[in-house]
Amino acid sequence: MERISSHQFTLLGSAVLMGTTFLPIASMVTGVAGRDSWLSVLPGFALGIPYGLMVLALMEQYPQKNLLQITEILWGKWISKIIGILYVLIMIYFGGLLLGQLGDMYESSIMPRTPIEMFYLGGLLLVLYLVKSGIEVFARFSEVLFPLIVFALVLNIGLSIPRVEQGELMPLLSQGMIPIFWGGTKIGPFVMEYILFLAGVLPFLSTNKGELLHLKRGLWKTIFLVGILNTLVVLIQISVFGPSETVNLVYGLLVLGKMVEVSKTIAGVESLFLGVWFAALVIKISAFFFAVIWGLKSIFNAKGFMCNLVVGIIFMGIALKFQKGPALKIEIGFVDNYLIFPFASVWVLTLWGMSYWKKKAGVS
Amino acid sequence: MNTKLKRSYKIAPVLLCISLLFISGCWGKREVENLAPLIGIGFDLGEKPGTYLVTQQYARPKKGGSSGAEILQRTLGAEASSVREAFETVSKGAYRTPFMGSLKVIVIGEDFAKAGGFNDVLDFAQRFAEFRRSMYLVLARGRAEDILNLKLRSEHLSAIYINYIIEGGNELSTFPTVRLGHYLTVLGRQSTAPILPVVKSIKPGEGINYKAEKSGEAEELQIQGAGVLRGDRLVDFLNDDETKGYMWLENEVFNRFINTVDLEETTVKFSGQVLKSKTKYKLHTNNESKELYYQIKTSIAIDEIIGLNKQLSGTEWVKLAKEAEESFAKVIEKECEGAIKKQRELGQDFLGIGRHIEQRDPQYWKTIKDQWEEEIANFPVSLDVKVTVHHTGMSSSSATNSGGEGQD
Repeated sequence: MERISSHQFTLLGSAVLMGTTFLPIASMVTGVAGRDSWLSVLPGFALGIPYGLMVLALMEQYPQKNLLQITEILWGKWISKIIGILYVLIMIYFGGLLLGQLGDMYESSIMPRTPIEMFYLGGLLLVLYLVKSGIEVFARFSEVLFPLIVFALVLNIGLSIPRVEQGELMPLLSQGMIPIFWGGTKIGPFVMEYILFLAGVLPFLSTNKGELLHLKRGLWKTIFLVGILNTLVVLIQISVFGPSETVNLVYGLLVLGKMVEVSKTIAGVESLFLGVWFAALVIKISAFFFAVIWGLKSIFNAKGFMCNLVVGIIFMGIALKFQKGPALKIEIGFVDNYLIFPFASVWVLTLWGMSYWKKKAGVS
Repeated sequence: MNTKLKRSYKIAPVLLCISLLFISGCWGKREVENLAPLIGIGFDLGEKPGTYLVTQQYARPKKGGSSGAEILQRTLGAEASSVREAFETVSKGAYRTPFMGSLKVIVIGEDFAKAGGFNDVLDFAQRFAEFRRSMYLVLARGRAEDILNLKLRSEHLSAIYINYIIEGGNELSTFPTVRLGHYLTVLGRQSTAPILPVVKSIKPGEGINYKAEKSGEAEELQIQGAGVLRGDRLVDFLNDDETKGYMWLENEVFNRFINTVDLEETTVKFSGQVLKSKTKYKLHTNNESKELYYQIKTSIAIDEIIGLNKQLSGTEWVKLAKEAEESFAKVIEKECEGAIKKQRELGQDFLGIGRHIEQRDPQYWKTIKDQWEEEIANFPVSLDVKVTVHHTGMSSSSATNSGGEGQD
């Protein structure tokens, strides 16, 4: 069986958690938390630590099993099948929507005349190739590209500093802590997307004692790295656009990229950033594709090329259904807030709670 | 070679061919020589109600120019009820496709600004992905069309010339630099009234003397003063001194030339340049009432002294430098007070005082923000200007004749 190292786990996890969260995050949290929204990003991502630790604790207790298989052990065949079907449906639907986002991002920003289907197809072919190559290749792909994604983000943020408006971040905490809390709740779904991927990737992780410690450390690193980067993303957007404009912008970071000028000579670097973000989206879509494949294998023992092809066609169909940008944005928000977040948070918590109770009570 | 590898070798060329489809050039490719780079765009009121005149200034590389940077202008206008429609009309008569990514300046005509509603035309600039928010916004004294059609003696395109003046603005710090992004940010602040620099054409003798090729026609441009907006409607202009006052209070002065020639109470006049400047503000509480207190600290180098008719000793130089500091401080105070007075007269918070109060005391701001427009006229503001004369130039004395040779 394929295995990924703790280092690969950290980078792959970071890439999956990051995805393209940096594109909508500022608009989403600022819409709720206003000027102080940047303060709510890291605490929001921190929700991933207890949930991630719960998943790793379950893995320690039930080695080589994914969360669906653990569900079957703890709750029986039929409940696990229902949860498994829900898991697959959510992941397949959201994966398709993300594929749609890939097309929307390119079409609305730099390549309006290229048929949107070409972006879908291009992204999907890459995803299918990664899925066929296996988790190890996917992890290596992320290892190579995630540092590039981070570099492009930091560069975009750094080069935007000359555009900062005086005093846009002040006053701090003028509305108190409550808006920050609500801002944090907007981050929850991003974390749960990662947790759902984690639920499927467990059998590919090593479970010996030393390695488990590294995995836990990797989890902390993932959460903090992505949390801090996204905090900076929100911070720079509020500093440059002010809270009101930050909420209005669909892809604020892209607008920042378009404002970058180096020595009044170099401009138009946003296309380079977009190239890197393509990789970020491919990683995220691949993660959901993998999760669907793992889910199908656990529930129906379905696997192989035909299975991948069918899932790919469904991804494509969903993306094609949501070609209109605003409708796509609303649908992503709906699935995030009302499907992924409640499903993952309740499932993992209750599963871990039951396992913990059984362990304490000594029930086998 | 195993079968799997053989199959991969067969599939790879097919995949490579398919991947050619994804090269963006296959769809919507645009050759650079077929693009018309838009440099400036102007908006004026149209003759028909509900329309505006959109003047578009394109750059056209000069064939056979001595350097690659030589460009000719192609300025076209169309009256339309939307910006897109105006571009469509102009495109019908042009063989190249307009490219908006190169836009440097948006010029808003005076009548159009006074009529209001230019946020509608700016919507296109902020929505259409080709535009960049780093472009500059300026108000025109008169019509934007006239400014963009101006044939400058320097042979620059008007839009590029305006862009040069603005980008050199830090050397002068006499007018605000407003990019589209900054304007939209200020709109979002709600309590602050946006402000835009004013560009005007200059005929010979209107402040600048030069010999025009065609008598009586303007062939030079100048940015001076600013326009204050309420929403997206121009309510009034600030004169040069009031705009300079705004620049001090907004901490926007980087370098500046400054002189005390207009000060009546001194006989010796000074000119100098600001080396650095910092404006801070605090919100003071006096007997339950609040006051915004500005503190301006400026370092100036004296470049010119007028009216000094005798050689000075070392201690007299020190005394004179002190006198210069006081004179410069008075000039700065006068400029700032002019801006504050104008703000009170207009009842428009272009100085962003409301925003400063919000930053310093958000709780107090919550109590006054709803009636802020009425409060502006009476809200107490005080100033403290501290000038340090950094040095007095390369000479320790002025040019004076020896005693009895023409001296009083």
